[in-house]
Amino acid sequence: MSLLEVKNLRKSFRISDSLGRTTGQLVAVDDLSFSLEKGEILGLVGESGCGKSTTGKLIMQLLKADSGQVFFAGKELSGLSSRQLRSHRKQVQMIFQDPFSSLNPRMTVGAILSEPFVVHKLAPAAQIRNRVIQLMEKVGLSAEHEQRYPHEFSGGQRQRIGIARALAVEPQLIIADEPVSALDLSVQAQIINLLKKLQQDHNLSYLFIAHDLAVIEHVSDRIAVMYLGRIVELTSAEELYRNPRHPYTEALMNAVPTPDPSHPRPVALKGEIPSPITPPSGCHFHPRCPYADDHCRRSAPNLVELGKDHQVACHHHQQVGKYLIREK
Amino acid sequence: MPSRLSVENLKSYFFTRSGLIKAVDDVSFSIEPGETLALVGESGCGKSMTALSLLRLLPEPGRIVGGEIHLDGKDLLRLPASEMRRIRGNDISMIFQEPMTSLNPVLKIGEQIAEALRLHRVTEPRQALTDAAELLDLVGIADPRRRLRDYPHQLSGGQRQRVMIAIALACDPKLLIADEPTTALDVTIQAQIMDLLLELKQQRQMATLLISHDLGVVAGNADKLAVMYAGQIVEQGKVQQVFTNPLHPYTRGLLNCVPRLGQKQDLPTISGHLPDLIKQPDGCLFIDRCPCPCTQCGNQAPAIEEIEPGHWVRCWRH
Ligand SMILES: Nc1ncnc2c1ncn2[C@@H]1O[C@H](COP(=O)(O)OP(=O)(O)O)[C@@H](O)[C@H]1O
Ligand SMILES: Nc1ncnc2c1ncn2[C@@H]1O[C@H](COP(=O)(O)OP(=O)(O)O)[C@@H](O)[C@H]1O
Ligand code: SF4
Ligand SMILES: [Mg+2]
Ligand SMILES: [Mg+2]
Repeated sequence: MSLLEVKNLRKSFRISDSLGRTTGQLVAVDDLSFSLEKGEILGLVGESGCGKSTTGKLIMQLLKADSGQVFFAGKELSGLSSRQLRSHRKQVQMIFQDPFSSLNPRMTVGAILSEPFVVHKLAPAAQIRNRVIQLMEKVGLSAEHEQRYPHEFSGGQRQRIGIARALAVEPQLIIADEPVSALDLSVQAQIINLLKKLQQDHNLSYLFIAHDLAVIEHVSDRIAVMYLGRIVELTSAEELYRNPRHPYTEALMNAVPTPDPSHPRPVALKGEIPSPITPPSGCHFHPRCPYADDHCRRSAPNLVELGKDHQVACHHHQQVGKYLIREK
Repeated sequence: MPSRLSVENLKSYFFTRSGLIKAVDDVSFSIEPGETLALVGESGCGKSMTALSLLRLLPEPGRIVGGEIHLDGKDLLRLPASEMRRIRGNDISMIFQEPMTSLNPVLKIGEQIAEALRLHRVTEPRQALTDAAELLDLVGIADPRRRLRDYPHQLSGGQRQRVMIAIALACDPKLLIADEPTTALDVTIQAQIMDLLLELKQQRQMATLLISHDLGVVAGNADKLAVMYAGQIVEQGKVQQVFTNPLHPYTRGLLNCVPRLGQKQDLPTISGHLPDLIKQPDGCLFIDRCPCPCTQCGNQAPAIEEIEPGHWVRCWRH
C-alpha cells in the first residue's frame, strides 16, 4: 500500500469579474494521478501556475476537489470527520516558500515551536522546552536563538524554523512547496542537504515542489512533470535525466543554466506560460512545442505507460531528444 | 580612451545607530561598451548598494565616502545634482528583480514608457506612443499596440520584466544595470530574458552590469565576473578565467553549490553565513567560513592581487 495515492484528482476555480459575477472557470488540476511510497521523495516540477500548490493543498485537504480521490495510508480523505481531519493534518505537514508569512511576528521562535506540542498535546508541559531545543538543534539552529523573533533571522534560518515547526508533530509526509525557491544558491544547498538528511533520519516522505528541474532532479527519487494542470511525464529521476520523453521535460532540461561558460547557453523555451483560463486546444503544450503537428493541435495525448514506471503524454514521444543539449 | 564605466576604490558606508557598516568597501572594476560584467555574491554582500552608488541613489543613512566613478571619463561623484539627474534619465538605466515595485500600478504601460521617452528627449505625445510600441516590439512583446493599453497587473512576470527593460532602453543608455533581473522568474522565462539582454547588448553596444547570486546564470551571459563578499570584491577576472581557475575559496564554494542535472550526491555547501558587517575583524573577512585558513589570515586582511593578467584575487593562500 502506498503512503499517498492520488486518483483522477480535478480542481477548478470560478473566475469572477470585479462585481463578483462568475464569468467562467479555470481548471487548475486536471485528472491527476500518482502515488508516493513511504520514505520516498516525489518531485513535482513545472512553471508557475501549472497547479503545483493546488495539488499540495488538495492533499492537505485545505481545498476540496471537484472529483477524484486522495488516499493516505489507504484511507480516503474526503470522507473524514473533522476530528480525523485534524489527525490527518498532523501526519501531513506543509512547508512553504516564504516561511516568514506563516510565522507569527510577535512570537519568539521558542514560542512558535512550542505551539504544536501544546496544541496536539504531544508532550507534558515540563518537557516542552527540551523538545523545542532538540528540534532547533536538529534543523541547525542554536539554542540561543530561542528568544529571538522571526524578523531577526535570515531567509535560510527562517526556512529552518518552518522545517522545525513541521517536524514537531512527527509527520509521515511533508509537502514542501518551493521551500528553496526564494533562497540564495549557497543557502539553498544548505536547506536541500538538511531536508535530505531529515528525510533519511526519520524515514519521511516528501512531495517536493519546485519550478527548477535541477533542484527537483537533485532531491527526488521520482519526478512528475506538470504542465497546465496535467502530469505530462512521470518516472524515476535517473530515467528522466537519461531518457526524457516529453518535449516539455526536454525544454526544462535545456533551460537549466550550467555554471560553465564553455557549455552551450541555456535554450529558452519559446512563448509565454499559457493561462488555464484559455488552454490551448489538443495537447496543451503544442504552441510551444518544436515537435508539434496538426494531430497535436487537434487531440490531447493520454498519459501512457512506456515501459517500466515511465509514463508520458505526448504523441511524438519517440522523437524527443532531438533538441536536447547535454553537458559535456 | 577611458572605459565606458570605471569604478575605483569605491567606498559606500552606512552610518547606523548600532555602528558603521562598510557595505561597499574598496570596490574597483570597469566595463567597456558591449561588455557585461557580472557582480555575484550572496544576499547582503553589497551588490545593490554598489549599483545604487553608481546612480548616487544610496538610501539613508548611506554615504559614498571614497573612490571615483567615471562614465566615459566624466567623474560622476563631482557632478552637481541636476547634472546627475540628467545622467540617470539618459545614460544609466536600472532594472530590478521585482518589476512590480518599479512600475506604477495605476498607469497604463504605454504611458509609463512614453514618460521615460519624454524624460530622455522632448517628444510629441503621439510619436512617444509609436516609439513605445516599437520598444515593446523590440523586447519581444507580441501585439505591442494593444499591450500599450494594459496595466501592469494584466501582464505575466516575464512580460513585466520585458516592459521594465523597454523603459530602461527608452533613453538608449550607455550603461544598463540589471539587478537580479530573473531571480523572481521561472527558469524557462529566465532563459528568454537573458537571451533578450544579450541580444540588446550586442545590438546597442551597451555596457551591462549584471547582478546575480547564481553563477549558473552568469556563466553564459557575462564577459567579466566580480565575486563580492562582505562588501569587497574577492575575485575578479574574465569569465573563462574565473570559472576554469577559481582562486578564492568563496568562488569555489559558490560554483560547487549550483545544482547540476544528473548530479545526485550531496551539494557541497559554504558553511556559516555572511559575517556581521559592523564587527570588522583584523584578518580576512572570509576566515570563519574558509575551509583552510592559515595563521596570517587571522592577523592581517589580504589585499587584492593580480595573479595573471586581468585575474585578481583577495586571498593569502590563492
Ligand atoms: N483560489 C483560487 N482562485 C482562482 N484561481 C486560483 C486559485 N488558486 C489558484 N488558482 C489558479 O490555479 C492555477 C494553478 O495555481 P497554483 O496551483 O498556485 O500553481 P503553481 O503552484 O504551480 O504556481 C493558476 O492559474 C492560479 O491562478
Ligand atoms: N538602508 C540601509 N541601512 C543600513 N544598512 C543598509 C541599508 N541598506 C543596505 N544596508 C547594508 O548594506 C549591505 C549590503 O546590502 P545590499 O547591497 O542591498 O546587498 P545585496 O544587494 O548584495 O543583497 C547589507 O548587508 C546591509 O548591512
Ligand atoms: S503531443 Fe505534440 S504538441 Fe504535445 S508535446 Fe507531444 S509533440 Fe508536442
Ligand atoms: Mg505554487
Ligand atoms: Mg540586492
